[in-house]
Amino acid sequence: MANVLLPGAALDPDDILTRSTGRLFWRTGFDRCIGWILPLLFVVAIFPILDLVYYISSQALPTLTFGELTSTSPTAIDALGVPIITTFEIMLVATLLAVLLGVFGGVATAEFLSPRAAEWIRASANMLAGAPSVIVGYFGFITFCTYFGWGYSYIAGVVTLSFFMTPYVFRTADLAFTSIPRPIREAALGSGAQPIQYILKVGTPIAFPQILTGVFLAMAIGVGETAPLVLTTTHGVLIPPTIYSPVSFLTGLIWSDFSSPGSGLQAVAFQAAFLLMVVVVALNIVVRIVSARYRKRLEGLYQ
Amino acid sequence: MHRLGWFLPFVPALVPAAIIAGILVSLLSAGLQANLGGSLFSFRWNPAQNEWGIGVFLVGSFLTAIPALAFSMLIGLGLAIASTVYLPRFMSRWLDPFVDLLAGIPSVVYGIWAYVSIAPLFANTFNPWLNTNLGFVPGFGGRVPSTGGQGLPISIFILTLMALPITTLLIRDSLRSVPKDLWESGLALGATRWEVMHRVALPYSSRGVLSAALLGFGRAFGETVAVAMVIGGASTLPTSFYSTSNTIPATMFSLLDSARNNSHFLSAIADMGVVLLAITLVVNILGRRLVSSVYAYEMAGL
Repeated sequence: MANVLLPGAALDPDDILTRSTGRLFWRTGFDRCIGWILPLLFVVAIFPILDLVYYISSQALPTLTFGELTSTSPTAIDALGVPIITTFEIMLVATLLAVLLGVFGGVATAEFLSPRAAEWIRASANMLAGAPSVIVGYFGFITFCTYFGWGYSYIAGVVTLSFFMTPYVFRTADLAFTSIPRPIREAALGSGAQPIQYILKVGTPIAFPQILTGVFLAMAIGVGETAPLVLTTTHGVLIPPTIYSPVSFLTGLIWSDFSSPGSGLQAVAFQAAFLLMVVVVALNIVVRIVSARYRKRLEGLYQ
Repeated sequence: MHRLGWFLPFVPALVPAAIIAGILVSLLSAGLQANLGGSLFSFRWNPAQNEWGIGVFLVGSFLTAIPALAFSMLIGLGLAIASTVYLPRFMSRWLDPFVDLLAGIPSVVYGIWAYVSIAPLFANTFNPWLNTNLGFVPGFGGRVPSTGGQGLPISIFILTLMALPITTLLIRDSLRSVPKDLWESGLALGATRWEVMHRVALPYSSRGVLSAALLGFGRAFGETVAVAMVIGGASTLPTSFYSTSNTIPATMFSLLDSARNNSHFLSAIADMGVVLLAITLVVNILGRRLVSSVYAYEMAGL
């Protein structure tokens, strides 16, 4: 550096300024090339998803009729009514269970636990969210189907699936309550509110949208999950009459029918895949919109 | 609070820990139930002769997960760099959600798409092309077995696609968290955008990139259904790059009917589960210690 500033001194060839100005053309040229090449990778990434959406729709839509969606006949192979209704039932009960386990757990972790204990609990929630679905499925199979003797039943499937969904709800509930600004909490507790009053009347209204995001996210993950349900229930052709009956569902339908071309079963599998894709993408878009709105509101409220 | 109720709030908080403990206990107890005769960590899987070597499936898992991770890290780095630096704001705002959406699509939908639509492409076009052009590399030469396109290459393809949103999201998130001051001072000193990226921003966010690699590996290693649909379900070691194989989660999933009726099968599968859980947990814990952006996890469905 000093060499450049002193008049008459020879330019140091190792000097950073000498080096960089000398190669300016190549440096900016390289930068521009990268700037054109890297965005092309988006084509590589987006082309498969477009092909997937197009292919599934083109296989499912021409043969999909309204009568098929509503038919609950136990003998027709293309009746999607039963799996649609039972999937809905499974999701409803599993979501309720996961909300019950996850929201209370998350709020308790955020509000009552010492920071050290909360750290451990959060680590275990993360572990559960990272565990492969087949592990949770075998846990359900060993514990509920075999050890508890429930067999391959609706209730075993629902409980296993709700365990799989719990960590997502848990984490957002915990995060929603921990991210409530301290002054609000201290104002509520300092003006004499019981912890339970603070949670119900102050915390919940603020945290609600974020918890809702977590619930939708858990539903999107749960409805598309195959292993926890396939391992704990078998195919039923009816809407389960009791909670100990086997039950059918959309992902299990795809798994059992995907490899039989020509029999009409594969076409049904594609229709189920199409429905599933639409539901999951819709849920994901809802999550995105709710969480974007929530972020905006949060930014507006507390700078 | 009432004197007896002091422990009540702690009960719901223990739910996730209790579930993890339950999973460990049930897998370990089922795994220790039948005597598998010490053949567990060999490379021979032949239940008829009482050989239960899960090494075969470990090899299959690593052979698919590691290349898939490498590809998705390369593409993910490219996408993240492009959308943070090179693309105009309005374009990355519209393109990024497409990549994020890849994470949301159920794996069984990926599976049926790959099985019906992509497998013929691999059987007729990609595998023969690879064979003629890369035949000199050991493992890529020889005869391409007629597996209908199923096997290692298509599994790597599917896993790349499924790990891509995680790696892209986490790398993008950590690149976005590089302070603006660093960018601007780099550019003001006369460095090009690429130079700031690879000398300042990438070193600054190296922890984020590493965690993307670990969590992407966790996803690729634990993926079950989509792989079970396209990998072909062999129970021998792969002989070439084009052979069918099997991964640990896919084996566990597709051997379910045997496990329902045979306690030896159930024990062997539970042991596979313990190994799988151990590997994914270690990878996940390490990966999460490095970064703590919950938003990125939410969007990646982790």
